Amino acid sequence: MPEDYFSFTSQLFDRTKISEKPEALKGIRVLDLAHVIFGPVISKWLGLFGAEVIKVEEPDEGDPWRTASYWAKYWKDSNPFFQCFNPNKHFVAIDLKKPKGKELVLELAKKSDVVVENFRAGLVEAWGIGYTTVSKINPKVIYISCSGYGQWGPLRFFPSWDLIAQSMSGLAQLTGFGGGKETYKLPDYYGDFFPGLLGAVSVLAALNYREKTGKGQFIDMTQVESLMRIMHNWSYMGLTGEDLKSTGNVDPTMAPSGIFKTSDGKFVAIAIATDEQFLVLLEAMGKKDLAEDKRFRETSERLKAQNADEICKVLEGWVKGKKEAEIIALAEEKGFPAAPVMDDFSMMKDEWRRERGSVVEFEDEMYGKGIWPTLAAALHKTPAKLKSLSRPVGYHNHYVLQKLLGLSKSEVKKLEKDHVIGYWTNRVGQKPPSYYNMEKDPIFNYDQGEKK
Amino acid sequence: MKEESGKTQVFSRHLVGKATSEHLANFNKLLADMMGSPEGKPETLQDTTVIEVGQANFPGIISSTLLAEFGAEVIKVEPPEGDPARKITHYGVNVNGVGIPFFMEGRNKHYITLDLDSEKGRENFKKLASKADVVLDATKPGYLDSLGIGYRQFSQSHPGLVYVAISPYGHFTSKAREKCNIPDTDLTAQAEAGYPALTGNPQAPEPYNYPLKAGVWAASYMSAALAAAGTLTALLHKRKTGEGQMVDIATYDAISTWQGFSIVWGFAFEMPRVRVGNFDWCLFPYGYYEAKDGFVTVAAGADADFRGLLRIFGRWDLENDWRFLFDRITDDIDKLKVLEADFKKELAKFTRKEIVRKTLSYSASAAKDKLRGKGFPIVVETRSPSEVLKEEHWKIRNSFLEVDPARNGKFKIPSSVPKMSESPPRIKRVECGLGADNEKIYEKYGLEK
Repeated sequence: MPEDYFSFTSQLFDRTKISEKPEALKGIRVLDLAHVIFGPVISKWLGLFGAEVIKVEEPDEGDPWRTASYWAKYWKDSNPFFQCFNPNKHFVAIDLKKPKGKELVLELAKKSDVVVENFRAGLVEAWGIGYTTVSKINPKVIYISCSGYGQWGPLRFFPSWDLIAQSMSGLAQLTGFGGGKETYKLPDYYGDFFPGLLGAVSVLAALNYREKTGKGQFIDMTQVESLMRIMHNWSYMGLTGEDLKSTGNVDPTMAPSGIFKTSDGKFVAIAIATDEQFLVLLEAMGKKDLAEDKRFRETSERLKAQNADEICKVLEGWVKGKKEAEIIALAEEKGFPAAPVMDDFSMMKDEWRRERGSVVEFEDEMYGKGIWPTLAAALHKTPAKLKSLSRPVGYHNHYVLQKLLGLSKSEVKKLEKDHVIGYWTNRVGQKPPSYYNMEKDPIFNYDQGEKK
Repeated sequence: MKEESGKTQVFSRHLVGKATSEHLANFNKLLADMMGSPEGKPETLQDTTVIEVGQANFPGIISSTLLAEFGAEVIKVEPPEGDPARKITHYGVNVNGVGIPFFMEGRNKHYITLDLDSEKGRENFKKLASKADVVLDATKPGYLDSLGIGYRQFSQSHPGLVYVAISPYGHFTSKAREKCNIPDTDLTAQAEAGYPALTGNPQAPEPYNYPLKAGVWAASYMSAALAAAGTLTALLHKRKTGEGQMVDIATYDAISTWQGFSIVWGFAFEMPRVRVGNFDWCLFPYGYYEAKDGFVTVAAGADADFRGLLRIFGRWDLENDWRFLFDRITDDIDKLKVLEADFKKELAKFTRKEIVRKTLSYSASAAKDKLRGKGFPIVVETRSPSEVLKEEHWKIRNSFLEVDPARNGKFKIPSSVPKMSESPPRIKRVECGLGADNEKIYEKYGLEK
């Protein structure tokens, strides 16, 4: 009798073996000149799989996201959301406005495989640390510039944030209950995270290409084009002459579909994508007679607005009389798509995510124990590993400049004195936790000895 | 502002003086080259073969499309009656019988039919997999294994294979086993990832106060990009070591972990967030507001940006009470509503164009300020998709491709993202008929007919 499939897979992905496993991106160095979210999350992916990431920030300021936390709430003098997007990184603070600062950045870029930046279009070129400069000293470099609208075109200098990108792509008007009276943004900065993930895809594709050909390249990644890429509106408009409008909780590609309230006051999402799923849903509802109804029998008929509306009402009525657990149990048994509407706390507590390792309990040397998200992508031979949280501004100055650029401790001290490199100010989000003794920290006080 | 072949205007804002003139010239040369057609340039994943098999699973379909855009040879294997994903479409609208999402994500792939329930079909699948770099399995967890063509078998016969599994709850864990019957959809994936619990207005009358789903396939696309990134990470390992592996994607966990705020909030503050309608948890103002003739989007979260807006409104009287972001961000929504009411009042005095122009001209002059203390408040029109299509910028960037597959009317699909200098992604073809490439692929891989 062969082993059961899920026993086989649970051995493959055994969490207790993770520390012994190799890292897919070990040996790859990433110079992260990026800030806020779009940009930093690209190197987050690379860092989780073993790349060495050097994040360059502005002295005294740091990444602006450090000090911008949800509801202005912080955790151990840090922004826990900044921690979340900047794990496994080295933090150096270099003043790019100083010629010596630029020199240092170029030295780092020379030794890097990937450079990530998300300043306004063209700015890094103007500063002399753009692709054209870096590729001269490091022809194999993969340099990704992230911006709202791209490096060319009339909008290139126009500013962008997640929300602006949602608006400029047309996505902003698609979430809401229709009628044009209200519209909602996609929460938690989708306009940064999705483009950032596509950025990681592009860098990884370019790394594969480089592995084969030895060639680096420049990547022009944009927020708005990424968001336009996921919208079906363009084709719908061309085919029907009409705009797709917001449709509340109904997905107009699936009927029935929606988020419904159960008899115990909870919310479940149900969406029926295929004829087969429709039949098993009818079975679960005890309404098999509807299978013969010509309004609903075939997907193409069921999706027509009026028919969809009617079958949605039938589903809504059924859900109203059932408890959440009953519906989910039926979905498991029969095989139709249904899920509870989870919330922040329930997901953090969720056993399934812990077992997958997509939410991990992690003990950091500086910040102690915490619960952090990693990735919904599990690689069984080369898993993502959370190795450290973020650090205060300039924490790795000595470590990186001595170890990587071969400067002596006194040379680094000179750079400090000249304000070419710098540190945190006494602001929450930038500084070390109050209980932490920096004087005794071996990395912060790194000294590899004087040069021969 | 008019674009002149990307030459002279690229740095007008930033570049003055000789020191940067060389960078300017070089960068413009690079951009001019990138603006041209990708045709003739090499493809990033030219040497990579991907087999995709799935059942009404768009994360699977989209992730293989992303790889196909980068030049991978993607062979989509369907049962003789076709993947039901072909029928999933807005209100039943279709192109030659194929739904909009399937058509849009159909680009660059090869379409073959195999009956995996037959011995012959499975043998053919094995033959394909033995020559492939990636098998992308978006069927029910354990289904291909039960047919003898899953990772367990291939890891023995073909250890270099990257096997990517895509499903709601993944292919391992006890919950994955319990829920292996549950199929994937975008809406249910959003729900399990806690996304609707963050959207909508809890004060609206029922059912408008329900948790609200995102109006695009936010979860499906996020899952697909995660799968593509996971695949490429594993492929890089394979290039270096020759080793394949299994990559497992849980679509119901994609947004929750990649965006991460939910988990971190849950951990740090030990409760779920409350929904805040059109407010943001982190910035104010940062949302959609009604001008005289429609919505505008206002993003002016930083203190300097906020003060800039007050100047534009002529409402410096508000400055004293709301000076710092810490004043404007609070868990006391009623307090925020006081400020919001003033903002709404001011914004309603302008048409969309007026307020956008006014803010832009303020920001343009503020940008010249040496101390940069005047901020950069941004107001844009909340564009509808048809307004977006009129934007010249996207035409110059070829961000859309016009197609006419049924020869009865043109329509647009979005182009590949991003732009790359050496090996850009591209759309080579859009045909996606069922079994359209049977002959070609059967012959190429020596499959039995």
